[in-house]
Amino acid sequence: MNRTLQKKMKPYIWLLPSIVLMAVFVIFPILIVFRLAFSEVSKAGIVGGFVGFKNFRDAIGLPAFKTVMLNTFFWVISVVGLSTVFGFIIAMVLNQKFHGRKIARAILVLPWATSLVIQASVWNYIIKYEYGNLNNVLLNLGIIKEAINWRSSYQIEFIWECGVGIFVTIPFVTFCVLSGLQSIDSTLYEAADIDGASYWDKLWRITVPLVKPSLTVSTVLNIIYVFNSFPIVYTMTKGAPANKTDTLVTYLYMLNYYNRQKGPATALSVIGFLVLCVCAGIYMMGVMRKEEDL
Amino acid sequence: MKLSESIKKKNRAALLLMLLSLVLAAVVLSLPAYKFTSSVYTKKSANTFVGDEKYAEVRAEVDAVAEEYRASGLDVEVSESVTERTNSKGKTTSMVAFSVDQTFVKNGWSFLGAGIGSAWVLMGLLLCLALSAACALAGTAGSMDEPYRTLDGRSASFRSASYYLALIAMVLVPVFFMVNTVLMSRRVDLYCDGLLTEGKEELFARLDAFLFGGQGGEDLEDMLKGLSFQNTGAMWLLLLCSAAMIAGGIQLRRGAITHTVVRGLLYAFVIALCVFILYPYYVMLVTGFRSIAETNDSDFLHLLPVKWQWGNLKHIIDRGVLRYLGNSLLIAGGATVLALLCGIPAAYAMARMRFKGKNVFLGFVIVSQMFSPVVLLIGISQLMSAMHMYDSIWGLMFINAAFNQAFAIWLLRGTFVSISPEMEQAAKIDGCNTVGSLVRVLIPMAAPGIVTTLIFVFINAWNEYTISTVLISTASKRPITVGITQFSSFNMIEWQNLFAASLLATIPVVILFMCIEKHLTSGLTSGGVKG
Amino acid sequence: MKKMFALLLALVMVFSLSAAAFADGGEITLDVIICQYSSGTQDWFLGTGMDGSNFVDKFEAENPGIKLNLEVVSWNDVYTVADTRIQDGKLDILNIDVFANYANEGLLEPVSQYCPEDLYNDFFPSFIANSVIDDTVWAVPDLASARALWYNVDMFEEMGIEPPTTWAELEDVSQTILDFYDGEVYPWGIDMTTDEGQAAFAYYTWGNGGGFIDEDGNWALNSDANVEAIEYAISLVNNGYTNPNPATQTRYDLEDMFAAGDMAMVIAPNDMPTYCAGKDSEVNLASAPIPANEGMTGSGVGVMDRVMAFKDESLSEEETAARDEAIGKFLEFFYRPENYVPWVSMEGFLPAVNSAVAALVESDPSFEAWLSVLDTSKFYPTSLGEWDAVKQGVIKAEQNALTGADVRAELDALQADIVAQAEAAAE
Repeated sequence: MNRTLQKKMKPYIWLLPSIVLMAVFVIFPILIVFRLAFSEVSKAGIVGGFVGFKNFRDAIGLPAFKTVMLNTFFWVISVVGLSTVFGFIIAMVLNQKFHGRKIARAILVLPWATSLVIQASVWNYIIKYEYGNLNNVLLNLGIIKEAINWRSSYQIEFIWECGVGIFVTIPFVTFCVLSGLQSIDSTLYEAADIDGASYWDKLWRITVPLVKPSLTVSTVLNIIYVFNSFPIVYTMTKGAPANKTDTLVTYLYMLNYYNRQKGPATALSVIGFLVLCVCAGIYMMGVMRKEEDL
Repeated sequence: MKLSESIKKKNRAALLLMLLSLVLAAVVLSLPAYKFTSSVYTKKSANTFVGDEKYAEVRAEVDAVAEEYRASGLDVEVSESVTERTNSKGKTTSMVAFSVDQTFVKNGWSFLGAGIGSAWVLMGLLLCLALSAACALAGTAGSMDEPYRTLDGRSASFRSASYYLALIAMVLVPVFFMVNTVLMSRRVDLYCDGLLTEGKEELFARLDAFLFGGQGGEDLEDMLKGLSFQNTGAMWLLLLCSAAMIAGGIQLRRGAITHTVVRGLLYAFVIALCVFILYPYYVMLVTGFRSIAETNDSDFLHLLPVKWQWGNLKHIIDRGVLRYLGNSLLIAGGATVLALLCGIPAAYAMARMRFKGKNVFLGFVIVSQMFSPVVLLIGISQLMSAMHMYDSIWGLMFINAAFNQAFAIWLLRGTFVSISPEMEQAAKIDGCNTVGSLVRVLIPMAAPGIVTTLIFVFINAWNEYTISTVLISTASKRPITVGITQFSSFNMIEWQNLFAASLLATIPVVILFMCIEKHLTSGLTSGGVKG
Repeated sequence: MKKMFALLLALVMVFSLSAAAFADGGEITLDVIICQYSSGTQDWFLGTGMDGSNFVDKFEAENPGIKLNLEVVSWNDVYTVADTRIQDGKLDILNIDVFANYANEGLLEPVSQYCPEDLYNDFFPSFIANSVIDDTVWAVPDLASARALWYNVDMFEEMGIEPPTTWAELEDVSQTILDFYDGEVYPWGIDMTTDEGQAAFAYYTWGNGGGFIDEDGNWALNSDANVEAIEYAISLVNNGYTNPNPATQTRYDLEDMFAAGDMAMVIAPNDMPTYCAGKDSEVNLASAPIPANEGMTGSGVGVMDRVMAFKDESLSEEETAARDEAIGKFLEFFYRPENYVPWVSMEGFLPAVNSAVAALVESDPSFEAWLSVLDTSKFYPTSLGEWDAVKQGVIKAEQNALTGADVRAELDALQADIVAQAEAAAE
């Protein structure tokens, strides 16, 4: 009896440290956010009574709500999508044998190894019109004749932000794919060679399906990570002009600490959470169902 | 017999191609395609109308200057441009700008012997092209019908040399162009501003001789300042010649172009990628060691600092950067260990055990990540103050570990699932318990995945910024990400200090990565691995 | 498995140990947040910037029973940090620019509770008047700055023209600069960023007889004068007279351009010469009044920051009295001329107390002129509770206008929103 109980309990014991850690340090703060979302919160952040869905109504009624949501979708889809594509291609290249592969891999880790605040500051400096380094270098190399304003409109600024987002996300995808590629048995390729398979056959029939689990993990994590990414947009434009380059997280941060609409800001974060849950949920379900089909 | 005939034909074509490109290169260099323009004198006059007194005065002045230049044997032209505006009071204002210009057209051969930078590059370029053709000839002499593979040592080396020389020639073409622009305009600026004094007189004398036939005299600095270089397509033609040379070289060397091109593209891709990725770090490096004035002055156009300010490094260390780095190492290291200690058993249970609520847990893990730390600031700070971990490095360790649990569990679970349980079962039969088989069998086999996770958690914790900003109030406990905000706020950005510190902050992560990189690539060897 | 539990246990023990270390023995600890005004601020308060020592050490040496937990926070994060500290009840003294929300919510201690009488009388009365809500003084000024037009003297001499005094002249001068320097120099700088776009609103509306509030102190954001002023500012941008990206180029970007000789005129605080010197600039600069519209008298623009003390409800009456006394000692130490004068001159600002004036003027005679400018300057209406919303609102209106929106519609909407907020707050 005791033994079966022990056996039943065993998996939970293995999970316990992880659960405790997360429950205390992640779930508890999340609960507080939920409480705030349904409470009246003063401008200085003092929590008042329960107000139902008032904060949510206020949040959805904000004039910038639609822009910010659309921006957020564009931001997540472009950054996650493109960095997955590029990351996969780069991983395929770095999986080849060539001189200097080790150095190339070490270099690739750099964008990831630098904090986003720094990365955003550097790119901010690079694309400055007046004394930015990009103009400086291009002028010096004789590629352009006069300085170019790299941030001539907010649309372009937002694209730059996405570009920096992609730049810093690629290494993670690449290393996830690389570790997936590493675990593919080389005998599979040898067998395919004997069968006379072409390069593309091998890519689609062997590589992609076997790398897919790592890609799924990296994509799900990236969706969450990129959705919640804060420093790039905050450092480069602070959402200017007029929230047109804001994503949800930067917008609600500004709303919270600059405009001091703390109630709606918290409600907005809960809305973001729900959106993310739904999106990531749909993606995961889609992928897992397919995996089961296979 | 037939095969050798076709090889002979191919080799002959390749040789012909190389010789033809050599001739074309010679022709291109004879063309008067290199145009230098120099504004030897400019004068602007505000509130001046064409025909009025002030205009006549300035015009006379400019004409006199032009006359002086003509007297010294230069063929200059005077141009003027008038800008007319109606101002806010409805009055018309006008500004006249005069410019005394001279244009020199040079052909490639005239560079030779000029003794300036681009001349040396051009000579090298020509030499490479000629040698490449010569080597090709020498390499095929007597072995015209043989492919590279079966060649004896001498001919093979000649053919190889031919290929590599052509490659160097190709690289030298843009260098030639670049040196022309950089040397002729930008570096002259620096020399004139007295920023680089070494060899100034000598360079000026050579430029004077080359461009103005030694007529520059005392006005040389002014004349050089207005210098600009224009390349009328000659570079593209030269590039084409070099490309044709390479094509010939490849043909002679490999016999098959495809393989070389694919390898070439591979290297080109990797090099381009590395250059692109390293670019921001180049910016950090050079900006981090520039002087303050240099960092934000659009006139200081040069690729490297005029003088490397190593003092910046001392300055940021004086302001506590090493201390912050130490704190970051402690926080990130502690968080990584903790995250793995909690994450590995959880991931193992997820991968190997069957139990109720498995999917719930997996969902719980992922959902717990769906709030940005920015949003959770309030909750976290309340929690930390309740747990007496406010302003403590310990607190940050736990927070970072907790926030990376989902990543750790998901990545590790994926790795564990992809490894067949057979080996563990074998270990169990040998008498190992679950913990033993995990430690002795699974973990070594899952090394690449664990290393990926480790890097991931470490980097995330290393880069965490928002929570530390709020939780840490004692300056000496700040991690590096917060520490460097003293160099950058909207009300004061010290680019040089910010970037010098940023560079320092990147180094530990790179070192860590270099140390464990081999585990990323080795790890799974043979057997026991399910495809 | 046991190992795992042992580890957890060890961790818990570490927690409790670190918790125990926090217990203090009866002395008063003051949690203080100071804004980072310049690269020297942190060194002054915590490093070695104050004659080889620092503010905290010197203060604690002088006041044995009081411990300062002083934090220098960058302006980027100060609102976040302050709000979090307030919610956790971990803030006694805050140095920041706004105070109205804190006061309206009853979080602040009235100044009379802790500020020594002598010190209180030492503040410029006009400054104190700016920190009053409902006849109670809630904060004391720590320093101020006066804004003026700064121009590059050498450029103006080379062109043979004078700095502009009216808006029309400003356009003409800008066009001349553009022509003369082939567009390589920005004639004029505009900052409409999220950080300080409200300053641009003040420069132009106050120069056109408008402003944030009307004579009765009510919000008047959509007055005709304001609309005209903002349209004028936007037209400067659209005509190419200014820096190209006013929505993201902060005043400090502009000051950097000015210091590098890439901008001919900019509106900046009185510490501009110091700032330029700090950037190793060789620009020869001089100041002039901010241009106003034809027929209007421009107003100086003054900006002031404050120090305020927060209530601590958990304390008994006696403890509160002791804490108030400690805060008083902190202020007294802070404003003591031998400490305050070098600090203010290091930061390049103008003082807030009379006792500092003589010493400052002696070290730099230009202070006298600036102080008289400040006397006639207008300040932001920071004592109104809606100020935060107004500040972000005008910035947003400006930024929308930059991307082509109609100024009047933007300001009308803002006014309606602010009035609604004010009414809701009044209920």
